[in-house]
Amino acid sequence: MEGLVLLIIFLFLAPFFSTIIQKVKAFLVGKQGPPLFINYFTLAKLLAKGSVYSASTTFIFRLSPVISLAASMTALLFMPFAGAAPILSFQGDVILVFYLFGLARFFTICAALDTASPFEGMGAAREAYFAFLCEAAVFTVLVLFYRLTGSLSLTGYFTGPDVINLWRPEGALLLLVIAAMFMVLLAENSRVPVDDPATHLELTMIHEVMVLDHSGPDLAFIELGAFLKLFFYAAFIANLVLPSRPTVGFAGIASFFVAISVIYALVGVIESITARFKMGLVPKFILTSFALAFFATILVLELK
Amino acid sequence: MKPLFLSLITILASGVLPLFFYKRFTLLKALAAGGISLGCMIGLSGAINSLYTARPAAAAWTWLHILPLSLHVDTLTAFFLIPIFLIGSLSALYSFHYLSDQTKGLRTAAHYLFFSLLIAAMAFVVMADDMVTFLLAWEFMSISSCFLVVYDYEQKETRHAAYIYFIFTEAGALFIFAAFGVIYAVTGSFNLTSAASLLPDIKLLVFFLAFIGFGSKAGVFPLHIWLPHAHPAAPSHVSALMSGVMIKMGIYGILRLYLALSPDSVIFGRGILIFGIVSGVLGVVYAMGQHNLKRLLAYHSIENIGIILIGLGLGMTGVSVGNPAMAFLGFTGGLMHVLNHAIFKALLFMGAGSVFHGTGTLAIDRLGGLMKRMKITGLTFLAGSVAICGLPPLNGFVSEFFIYNGAFQGRTLEKTDFLLVMLAVISLAVIGGLAVACFTKVIGIVFLGEPRTDEAGRAHESDPSMLYAMGILAVCSIAIGLAPALFVGPSAMAAATLLAKTPYDNTIYSDLMTLCKDISLGAVVFLVLLVIVAMMRKGFYRAKETGLGPTWGCGFTRPSPRIQYTGASFAASILEFFRPVAPVHEEYIGPAGVFPSRASYHSRLNDIAEDLEVNWMALPIVRLMRHLRWIQHGNIQLYIAYIVIAIAALLLAGLWR
Repeated sequence: MEGLVLLIIFLFLAPFFSTIIQKVKAFLVGKQGPPLFINYFTLAKLLAKGSVYSASTTFIFRLSPVISLAASMTALLFMPFAGAAPILSFQGDVILVFYLFGLARFFTICAALDTASPFEGMGAAREAYFAFLCEAAVFTVLVLFYRLTGSLSLTGYFTGPDVINLWRPEGALLLLVIAAMFMVLLAENSRVPVDDPATHLELTMIHEVMVLDHSGPDLAFIELGAFLKLFFYAAFIANLVLPSRPTVGFAGIASFFVAISVIYALVGVIESITARFKMGLVPKFILTSFALAFFATILVLELK
Repeated sequence: MKPLFLSLITILASGVLPLFFYKRFTLLKALAAGGISLGCMIGLSGAINSLYTARPAAAAWTWLHILPLSLHVDTLTAFFLIPIFLIGSLSALYSFHYLSDQTKGLRTAAHYLFFSLLIAAMAFVVMADDMVTFLLAWEFMSISSCFLVVYDYEQKETRHAAYIYFIFTEAGALFIFAAFGVIYAVTGSFNLTSAASLLPDIKLLVFFLAFIGFGSKAGVFPLHIWLPHAHPAAPSHVSALMSGVMIKMGIYGILRLYLALSPDSVIFGRGILIFGIVSGVLGVVYAMGQHNLKRLLAYHSIENIGIILIGLGLGMTGVSVGNPAMAFLGFTGGLMHVLNHAIFKALLFMGAGSVFHGTGTLAIDRLGGLMKRMKITGLTFLAGSVAICGLPPLNGFVSEFFIYNGAFQGRTLEKTDFLLVMLAVISLAVIGGLAVACFTKVIGIVFLGEPRTDEAGRAHESDPSMLYAMGILAVCSIAIGLAPALFVGPSAMAAATLLAKTPYDNTIYSDLMTLCKDISLGAVVFLVLLVIVAMMRKGFYRAKETGLGPTWGCGFTRPSPRIQYTGASFAASILEFFRPVAPVHEEYIGPAGVFPSRASYHSRLNDIAEDLEVNWMALPIVRLMRHLRWIQHGNIQLYIAYIVIAIAALLLAGLWR
């Protein structure tokens, strides 16, 4: 029950957390930044508009935002927040979740190619390229977690007796995992230094160029889906960082809230102090996260 | 056994009958396609029946007074009969409208003869109970498929492809003969089950000898090079049958021999696992670089054989380390993938054939925008693509999910095995990601966007029998993805046969059923949310204007379809990443001078296995043989002298003993 309430709360809060990134970036360059509810305003504005579709497109172009949003929402159903049990859970749900993100990506790439625009093709090719490297890193982390807990579900990782977090004996290893997952977060959610969500006219970008031709509610769905996906990854890391809580109290929820905010703020700081990589460096960046996860898994072999 | 014989007789009769009606084209096709479909349906019901009655059936004869011919149907047989008859029947249906050249009456009739022979031979391969029957059926299968490949024999590439296929299939058969010969030499029996009594070292020799033979049929990585030649050359329904089903006979052979040898060593599982990982990853990498749609699909067969081998390798490892849960899930996942791959790969090859019918070309970079002109082909091909990428909620995900679960069971393994299992998990993830890249390329470049050439712009939808075949396969694919519990039974039963000697209890089976339920749950939840979001979208667009305009060109005002991203450019950066194992050769003539002439760019992905095998194996042998040519000089007297000397030497050798 509390899981459902928390899910609904966080579904509505996800766009707000993304504002934190914008606020932090503005603060670090000495600006005031956008209003706190800017993302809600944007979503409302987009939802109120109509759309102009490219004559080249087919139904896939219209289907892809729906699939992206539905996939992100399904993923969050399996994520425990602040120690509460999630709505759904089964052995292997993490695989389903990451494959659903894969399904969303499949349709996003197809929709980009559907417009017949060479720019969107460029973004699509990069998305396909970097995604498979991220998947290698993520699944290495899953192997490690399974070795540690014997579970293959987000509930098994983050709730219950055998919970994984930084404060256990093998916590030192998890530092590597947290770093790896954070790098995956940056890459999968098109943040600097891999991608830059702030501009629309750069040819050297990934996700934003793929949605160039979307407009109106379609674009709102894509944006919302992206907020939820970022929130999923942030919650994953927050669950790793926070000590385990037997019950969900006010303190638990508050600390979860703070941890998520800190992760978003960290994204903002990184976006402020680093420049975007040249495209050739991105695979090396993601492979670093894979190497960290792989190293952690090899180390755990010695541990138990 | 009776329905199976009835079905095989029907199939063979429908293959022979058209030869008498070769002047009446439509009648010929109707007789053949209808008869083969009917025979396959009878066979399918027979196979499912013998699977669930679980009563092994057998029949035996003696041939030429010494050679035994015996048939036997157990669960493993019945399981492999399902894809044979299912895909056999649908590809026969598909062929009705696909073979449309009225001037080729006799050739079409002969084609159907070999088509029916291939289906029957595959059925006999899986039913064979002794080495003689097995090899006889195996050769019938190889030769008839060879004739099917050369359907368009006017074209040089087709003859070349058939030649390569013939060399590979016969060389592979020789390795199988060798393996069986070793068994016979030690045990003195044609019965495969006698192999269980061999010494462990000999078991290893037999297994890996046979693995070369079966692996070359299955398309395991370094032995695969016939596959990307043969599949594009053959007619599409033949590619569907060969890629969807025939290459699985190699898998069947491996499993049957594994079952007969019943080895305890971990080397078998590890070896299969490593071959699976290599085939899986490299198959999809090479697929990325292909410019011909059917060639691309052929490389995906290598990838999927890799996934199947990963599943089976996990199963064998599980058996040898005594981890029944891992063994059961690995075997079930691998076998389920045999069935799933048969379904979606047949669907994709049929889709490629439909594209060829509609446009006259298979070159990916000459197509585009087909989704608008070939709606059903496009939709079914999309379903097949999502399925082959292993994405939920379609059937490819189900088998990969089992294999993942099996692999994760290996968490308590010792170091080497754990590392291998971990590599299996990571490579499955990488294969999935690369498959998404590859099939978004196919869907995006071939079916979406603007037509790149006039052929693509004039595309038309195919005829009904082709569309029905594809539609049925797409429905199968979705049904298995949504409700795996209804379809997983055969694979689970066959898997149970494979670990008969390992103690396992019903909890493992109920775990599998739980997994099925979970997959359904996940798929249904996702679909419900999808419908809700779609309805929300509809609500937001109600009473709103939606305009239609050109794609935004970033300020570029004179777009043409030629500026679209091509398949080659889409794949370029990923291929760059895999350059050491997948070298791309580029020929680029840039515009030069004051009045530049036409520029051209051409790229080709070289298969390192093919390069190595040609340069380091075939050519040295050819060179050696050139030096031995003096032995064959055309002088009859000397030939007779050779024979006399040979006989004398053999007699002396016999006396010596």
